[in-house]
Amino acid sequence: MLEGAELCFNVDHGYLEGLVRGCKAGLLTQQDYVNLVQCETLEDLKIHLQTTDYGNFLANQTSPLAVSTIDTEMRKKLCREFEYFRNHSLEPLSTFFTYMTCSYMIDNVILLMNGALQKKSVKEMLVKCHPLGRFTEMEAVNIAETPSDLFNAILVETPLAPFFQDCMSENTLDELNIEILRNKLYKSYIEAFYKFCKNHGDVTAEIMCPILEFEADRRAFIITLNSFGTELSKEDRETLYPTCGKLYPEGLRLLAQAEDFEQMKRVADHYGVYKPLFEAVGDGSGAKTLEDMFYEREVQMNVLAFNRQFHYGVFYAYTKLKEQEMRNVVWIAECISQRHRAKINSYIPIL
Amino acid sequence: MWAEAMAAPDLRAQLDSLLLQLLGDLEELEAKRAALNARVEEGWLSLSKARYNMGAKSVGPLQYASRMEPQVRVGTSEAQDALQKFWLVRAGTQTPEEVGPREAALRRRKGLTRTPEPDPSPAPQDPLNWFGILVPHSLRQAQASFREGLQLAADMASLQSRINEGRSQVRGLQEKLKQLEPRAA
Repeated sequence: MLEGAELCFNVDHGYLEGLVRGCKAGLLTQQDYVNLVQCETLEDLKIHLQTTDYGNFLANQTSPLAVSTIDTEMRKKLCREFEYFRNHSLEPLSTFFTYMTCSYMIDNVILLMNGALQKKSVKEMLVKCHPLGRFTEMEAVNIAETPSDLFNAILVETPLAPFFQDCMSENTLDELNIEILRNKLYKSYIEAFYKFCKNHGDVTAEIMCPILEFEADRRAFIITLNSFGTELSKEDRETLYPTCGKLYPEGLRLLAQAEDFEQMKRVADHYGVYKPLFEAVGDGSGAKTLEDMFYEREVQMNVLAFNRQFHYGVFYAYTKLKEQEMRNVVWIAECISQRHRAKINSYIPIL
Repeated sequence: MWAEAMAAPDLRAQLDSLLLQLLGDLEELEAKRAALNARVEEGWLSLSKARYNMGAKSVGPLQYASRMEPQVRVGTSEAQDALQKFWLVRAGTQTPEEVGPREAALRRRKGLTRTPEPDPSPAPQDPLNWFGILVPHSLRQAQASFREGLQLAADMASLQSRINEGRSQVRGLQEKLKQLEPRAA
């Protein structure tokens, strides 16, 4: 079929693309952030947010305002928008949305299993699950003892089922195994998502594949960084790296052998995209961390996604940018409520 | 009378040295208090940073059990001069005579406190593992800050009791001096 993105996209998805671009225009601007940073209390923050697209979303909350309430309400707003897009979508955009929700589902499953380890009640945990990752079988997750249990009894009907291939084992679920399970599920998920976008072809593949490659590589780096000094062995660590990024295969093999930050940096030096990120990481108190550099790069890529039309990447990019905005606002709110304003400007500006 | 006349300068000398020690203790207490405040602030900020990286719901009350066993306890002892000392006893390293009244080392703050599983298990669990095995650096920094703060808190408690003791001794000496003065004159 001739490249029909410009011709056929709008028939099925034009309305939603227009809508998401409108939503994107409502993201907080630099001026908004400057106003928020100058607030003295969380009440001031609430008043300033009323002038933005958020409006009166905190109107029904009792004072005193807590930072976690702000976070929950912002997430509810994002969820409403996302559900609207999803409910009005047609194939293959609906599958794309399903792929997007899988990552939240994985997080919810892990949250519930950790809650079961700490003997918390299911109701308490269900309230705190991410709304975008809700599925009906969630309540039963806490009774599973092993990953095969979890799969056969509970998750076999959910969209997460195909990601369980590597994770079936009879080990009981303690902290180490839950962490390994989380990372293996995520690895399968991101590889499947990448294949879906690549097979779709067209502008969507051109936009989404680099974004997902970056996400895979970022996971590999962060897993390596956080595993220094823990009981995770190098072989186990290598099985957690997603293979759909630029680092595959040589970079991942080198990364699996790394034992400290310097060695990781040497691996990154081989790749033109990652070298500048690692070089900008500093050591002192005012310096940026590696995670900050990755967030900045993610924001850059997501903003650039809006420069092209007729692809599904705008929905992914919008959701991720909105999440970054939530992280920024929560960070500013925490600095205000802890009265520790030294690092209040460490948020990542978007527009 | 002679003996009493001789006692006054001695008493004054004693009073002076007591006062000096008291002022020294107070200064140390102030310094330790400032350090404790700084550690606690740093700890909370590192927790916020960890929340930024891991997600806001990943570092919070969902991750720890509602009932916990402390990993660090405070041992106290009372010496003959009614001086109370406080020190930290880590779980798993107790000697029989050191175990003092059982008090959770930190009253339940929301956030990182220490706890292990109940006594039969040999090694107390690191509370860092409540948040997963692969935790970001900021969470480890938070744990380190709170640990240092804990040590400072125990030192401060000992200092405080020493200061109280010093104050009552100073008051006692001042009383004695007052009694001696009118008679000498």
